[in-house]
Amino acid sequence: MAAPIMEFEGVDKFFGDQQVLYDIDLSVDEQEVVVVIGPSGSGKSTLLRCANRLETIRDGEIRLDGRSVVDANVNEIRQQIGMVFQSFNLFPHKTALENVALGPRKIKGLSEAAANEQAHELLDRVGLAAETGSYPGALSGGQQQRVAIARALAMEPRVMLFDEVTSALDPELVGEVLDVIEGLAAEGMTMMLVTHEMGFAREVADRIVLMADGRVVERTEVDTFFDRPETERGQQFLSRLL
Amino acid sequence: MATQTETESDTGGVMMRDGAVRRIGEIAAAGFVLAIGGLLVWILATQVNYTLLSSPLIAGRFAEAFFLVIRIVAISSVLSVTFGIMVGLGRISTSPITGRIAKGYVEFFRGTPLLFQLFVIFFGIPRLWATGQFPFENWAVPAAIIGLTLNHAAYVGEAVRGGIDAVPDGQMEAARSLGMSRVMALREVVLPQAWRNALAAIGNDQIILVKDTSLLTVIAVPEIMSVFRNINSNQLDPWTPLVWVCVLYLAITMSMSQLVNGLERRSDWGSDSSMFGRFSLSSSGGSDGGDD
Repeated sequence: MAAPIMEFEGVDKFFGDQQVLYDIDLSVDEQEVVVVIGPSGSGKSTLLRCANRLETIRDGEIRLDGRSVVDANVNEIRQQIGMVFQSFNLFPHKTALENVALGPRKIKGLSEAAANEQAHELLDRVGLAAETGSYPGALSGGQQQRVAIARALAMEPRVMLFDEVTSALDPELVGEVLDVIEGLAAEGMTMMLVTHEMGFAREVADRIVLMADGRVVERTEVDTFFDRPETERGQQFLSRLL
Repeated sequence: MATQTETESDTGGVMMRDGAVRRIGEIAAAGFVLAIGGLLVWILATQVNYTLLSSPLIAGRFAEAFFLVIRIVAISSVLSVTFGIMVGLGRISTSPITGRIAKGYVEFFRGTPLLFQLFVIFFGIPRLWATGQFPFENWAVPAAIIGLTLNHAAYVGEAVRGGIDAVPDGQMEAARSLGMSRVMALREVVLPQAWRNALAAIGNDQIILVKDTSLLTVIAVPEIMSVFRNINSNQLDPWTPLVWVCVLYLAITMSMSQLVNGLERRSDWGSDSSMFGRFSLSSSGGSDGGDD
């Protein structure tokens, strides 16, 4: 495999006086899919939010392609890090197409025609070619989340971060979103996912990172983790799921 | 079964059925309409002098006042909404200085009576010049516009801030995560939504602005109430000019609420129908293209 795209090194994160991430070391290689799992409150989502600087870290370093994320121009570095949220956060006053085309138009300065063409392609890729003119309020949760994925892809990021993207969905809508993510994995997109869908984690992940109480407790190849986790915490976590 | 009977007897004894409550409401509302409506008909039949009401003299004076009020309202409205948006943006500024200045502004202009503010501007400001040096010959109307603008910008500012606060944090996060600057995220994502959230409150305030012009009579603006006072003291007939006053204010305020309703409908980005969405897309597309 290739060089690491995203690296965390000794990351400490505090909310006020409370430390929520302890000395996180982690790297994501090119075309690798890393799935972060762990009980709620273990700091998984916070870790992702630190990666695109929605949260600031107190100590340590986060690098994208060897460049410090912390020291970079925040608006520039975020263009290379796609983020998809649990609650979609689509722009309700814009159509699906406008949601996807907005970033390329306003940030990258693409012409309206070029941005719309790209948005059409991306919406087609996530199976929503028929909904380009729909407002988010008229779309199902699964459709909204697929638009959100297309919106993040439109910036042509180096890495995609998925923060519990199926947790707010009705069970029957989870599949369509996971299918899109699997498609991205197959195309070689580098991704970091936080999820509670263990079946999906097993299917899509190259590596599993188990977090607990703000620490990385285990990081293993996916099959190793699910068949015979190396740590006691890993065994405990898996046994509670069964 | 036992609990069932208990509940039934409970509701029967203590609470009324929904239908009964509705009936009482209907009787009260109908009674109110009959009482007020009867009084109104009686006044219109016995108190109003219809010859005077339709005389060109009185009509002309009210018309003059009416168009003056419309001019004052139009200018103060545009200025107070514009300035109010700036105040609202100041309230959410990341700069603590700007934030505090905007807060202080709102506290002062919301916390003192409009009449006091009008007195400061109308009587106080000209005294800052040496006698005879104040450049405005007819200061009443400019003073009125300044007073109404400063006062209502405070309310509009709070409405705008409330509208911004009501936009979920996730909107700003999503826009920033794409790589937008804070200013761009505000302009493209947050403010269009905040505007819709704030529209009803802003419209409400602008209707109050219309009625606040009635205070201008005390700083010698020849507006609608001053015409009333004039006619009442000359003719010793309050009811006839009051009919004029009522109709003229309602004419302005009701067109204003129509306008606000129209604006609200236009900024409603079809939550349930994508057809509607496509319509408003074409209308917003034009203004969007302008700022590139």
